[in-house]
Amino acid sequence: MNNRLRLKQAWTIARIELRRAFISKRAFWVYGLALLPAIIFFGHSVAVKFRRERLSAKGLVRPAVMDSIRPGEAVEAVLERLGKPPRDFQWERYRRIRPKGEAAGITAHEIISHRRLTYFDGQREAILNFTDGKLISSQIRRLLSFEEDRRIFAGVFQYFYLRLAVFFGCLGIFMNLFRGEMLDKTLHFWLLAPARREVLLAGKYGAGLIASAVIFAGGALLCFGVLLWTHNPAEVQAYWRSSGMGHVFWYAAAAVLGCIGYGSIFLAAGLLLRNPVIPAAVLLAWEGINNFLPEILQKLSVLYYLQSLCPVPAPVDKSMPAILQLLLAPAAPASRAGAILGLLSVTAFVLWLACLAVRRMQISTVLRRRNLC
Amino acid sequence: MTEPTVIFEEVSKFYGEVLGVNRITLRIPPGITSLAGPNGSGKTTLMNLMTGLIHPDHGSISMRGISSRDPERLMHITGYATQYDAAPRWATGFSFITTGLLLFGYRRPEAEEKAWKALETLGLAEAAHRKMASYSKGMRQRVGLAQAIAHEPELLVLDEPLNGLDPLVRAETIVLFRFWAAQGKHVILSSHVLQEVDAISDRVILIANGMIVAEGKIRDVREEIQERPSKFIVRCREASRVAALLFSEDFITEIRLNEDRQGLLVLAKDRERFSRSIRRIALDGHEIDSVIPADESVDALYEYLIGEGK
Amino acid sequence: MAITAVNGQEDLMAVYRLGYQRYQGPVAGRWARLKVIPRFAWRRLFQQRLTVLLIVIALIWPLLCAAFVYLANNAELLKGFGKQFQSFVEVNGDFFMAFMKVQAVFAVFLAALAGPGLIAPDLANNALPLYFSRPLTRSDYALSKLAVLFGMLSLITWVPGLFLFGMQAAMAGREWFWANWRLGAGMVLGFILWILLLSLAAMAGSAYARMKAVAGGFVLGFFFILGGVSELINGIFRVTWGHALNPAWASHRIWCAMLRVDPAAGPGVPACISMLFVIMFLLALVIERKVRPVEVIS
Repeated sequence: MNNRLRLKQAWTIARIELRRAFISKRAFWVYGLALLPAIIFFGHSVAVKFRRERLSAKGLVRPAVMDSIRPGEAVEAVLERLGKPPRDFQWERYRRIRPKGEAAGITAHEIISHRRLTYFDGQREAILNFTDGKLISSQIRRLLSFEEDRRIFAGVFQYFYLRLAVFFGCLGIFMNLFRGEMLDKTLHFWLLAPARREVLLAGKYGAGLIASAVIFAGGALLCFGVLLWTHNPAEVQAYWRSSGMGHVFWYAAAAVLGCIGYGSIFLAAGLLLRNPVIPAAVLLAWEGINNFLPEILQKLSVLYYLQSLCPVPAPVDKSMPAILQLLLAPAAPASRAGAILGLLSVTAFVLWLACLAVRRMQISTVLRRRNLC
Repeated sequence: MTEPTVIFEEVSKFYGEVLGVNRITLRIPPGITSLAGPNGSGKTTLMNLMTGLIHPDHGSISMRGISSRDPERLMHITGYATQYDAAPRWATGFSFITTGLLLFGYRRPEAEEKAWKALETLGLAEAAHRKMASYSKGMRQRVGLAQAIAHEPELLVLDEPLNGLDPLVRAETIVLFRFWAAQGKHVILSSHVLQEVDAISDRVILIANGMIVAEGKIRDVREEIQERPSKFIVRCREASRVAALLFSEDFITEIRLNEDRQGLLVLAKDRERFSRSIRRIALDGHEIDSVIPADESVDALYEYLIGEGK
Repeated sequence: MAITAVNGQEDLMAVYRLGYQRYQGPVAGRWARLKVIPRFAWRRLFQQRLTVLLIVIALIWPLLCAAFVYLANNAELLKGFGKQFQSFVEVNGDFFMAFMKVQAVFAVFLAALAGPGLIAPDLANNALPLYFSRPLTRSDYALSKLAVLFGMLSLITWVPGLFLFGMQAAMAGREWFWANWRLGAGMVLGFILWILLLSLAAMAGSAYARMKAVAGGFVLGFFFILGGVSELINGIFRVTWGHALNPAWASHRIWCAMLRVDPAAGPGVPACISMLFVIMFLLALVIERKVRPVEVIS
């Protein structure tokens, strides 16, 4: 049998598996994982649109006047200068007072009045918080900021897509290729095909890769598309002309390479270990603590290379405790060529291990009875 | 040109500390060969070894000149119907077989034609487009057989192929086995229905505890076991008299009288001399209704060869 | 059954009139019966080296915390250190919160390891009819399985926590105990809530996936992905209410209230409690739907 025929066999295997990967009931949760950010971005854009319309309908203030608001100003002064706000929300809080000295033991209550005014200048929203008639805090921000949304997308891509969606999605898809067949007791169907075991592995890996790459790269691109759709077309066009195309390419490349890397690991884990969840948990923990490890160890992770490919660095998690932020020492990102080569080398090594495992793989009647293989 | 043969050379297989098969040496010519033995004796292990689903820890296997470690070539000439009836969730009977055939390199129309032919042969044409998950056990068994024969292999390995088949399909399947065997193909099957094995096989391989205890044609196997006495059931009116007459012969080792006093179970060391004696007794006027050898079936062989281990 | 030939007539089959009589002897009490499943499950789990290893690793942090308690109660040992360090070495709500956070993570991994083997193999091998043909109801079965995880997870959560609390109370004296008994109670209640959530998630995963490996992934995914989704909502909508969707965050918020530790910005305790109840109800619903002694052939 020549290589052309082997390639044809691998493609036949991949086609069969692709159908399972794309349309089986078991795969639907993967779609949910991949499409969720796009759905939330869409929900946000719709919400912003409605909010803008609602605020605009009730009158706009001039940007200069909005910028003139200073802390400590009286509510009456602000109302006089900016006029009636589109949103005005007032409430009162009771505070318990325990006087010291002679009056100790007598509990009194104090009423504190709060008021929140919201103004809109067509682009920016000002939220002014008053306590007892004085401005104590204000927040002026663009209702829809392209810059900010792109930064958020970078965070979503790195923290959600790469760390969670691609990770768990590949765990589900690639683990199912061999381990799932073992559990379903249908693996012998494949092993009885007139194909070399390596061809079988290639076909199954190819199918998993195509399915995961289409789902996750597609999901990321769709999410980015939704993000662009919400914003001002002129702003989007300018971005597209400058660096947009490159960003889109590298986001898609990172998603695909994530599937290549994680896919190979989970495929091999499914072949080598009875319970692939254990290596998955270890890998998840390893990737999670990666940024706290010494530089050399950080390079032993799929995520390091994937993050090196991302066009926009992800913002640091502000909710992280200060002591942990001190320990955070991200290694300098690898060059893009280095990241791709590094990742492909790791994948090639892992697939070679998987090849060895699949060549030695046997159907065990003893293990079958114990529902293991 | 030498006859294509299935050869096992000193093959051993262990599952950890559990013995699968031990030092098996076999030469199986074309025709119908049955593997018989009690549960856990190693029949399925032997079949899995033949088809490369498991590899031997020691020794080598050649299937009509092809190593069992070369699935690419081996599975082109081999069809294996396993006893595992789990079916891929996505498959209908037709798509299951067609998909398998595509892996052989057939084009889709050709694969579909062959799949259809195999399904018709096994009487599954009507259920061809139903999901296999909804098939009965017998139907799954037949689909397994259909996928094994669909690519017209030279070597058929069938694990308990008659299990779950209704009598009509069972008879038709046996005819098919004979047809394939007549074409010079190997049909290697395992079965627990010993009478059936006896009836359809050209040769039987008896396995116990992972070892071959006998092989050949059942009658030949029986005759080779000279040191064991042969058993006969004699039905006659005067059982006590006949028993007394037989006891005078030195080749008789044991006689048991039946409760109805009209039958005897005789254990004789020499079959020829026993037949001569019984003929003489009949000619002397003692009414003998029947003389039936009680140990030429596979059941009897079991008892002789692996009785204790059963 | 007997087949006999009578006077040359055709063979007749004797049919014996037999009625089924149920066992009427003494049976063990309901609670004694409920203990059978956990007893065997624990024995099996403790035979797994990985489970034992994880439990041992999970007990390292409590040991370090015990050393911290000892240090905090030995003023002489602290003399050489600066005031800032001395004020840091104090056993209070923050200390127990740090203890709980680490143990909670280990509990997730232990649940992912021990939980999937609880129901999935019974469903995969159609073993439920065997259970329910005994004097065991579906709720008994579910409770027994819950008890298995509850016992396992207790070993690394509230049991060492209570030990630490007892150690501190013994070393610091009665006054400290009466002033801080809420910390001990809060910690135990907080852990029980967490164990309940984890156990239900592991059981639901085990019942839903029917495959041990997949169920383990489900438990990990349940916590990590819901955490990710909540951050996603917070990030994109610029809000903090998304935290309520994260069971880990919601539990943490409740612990903060119980241990009187300053919480992070986000939804309040009532919202978190409501959300946790909704999640637990949904998980229980999955278990209720899936743990049925029927085989569905599609």
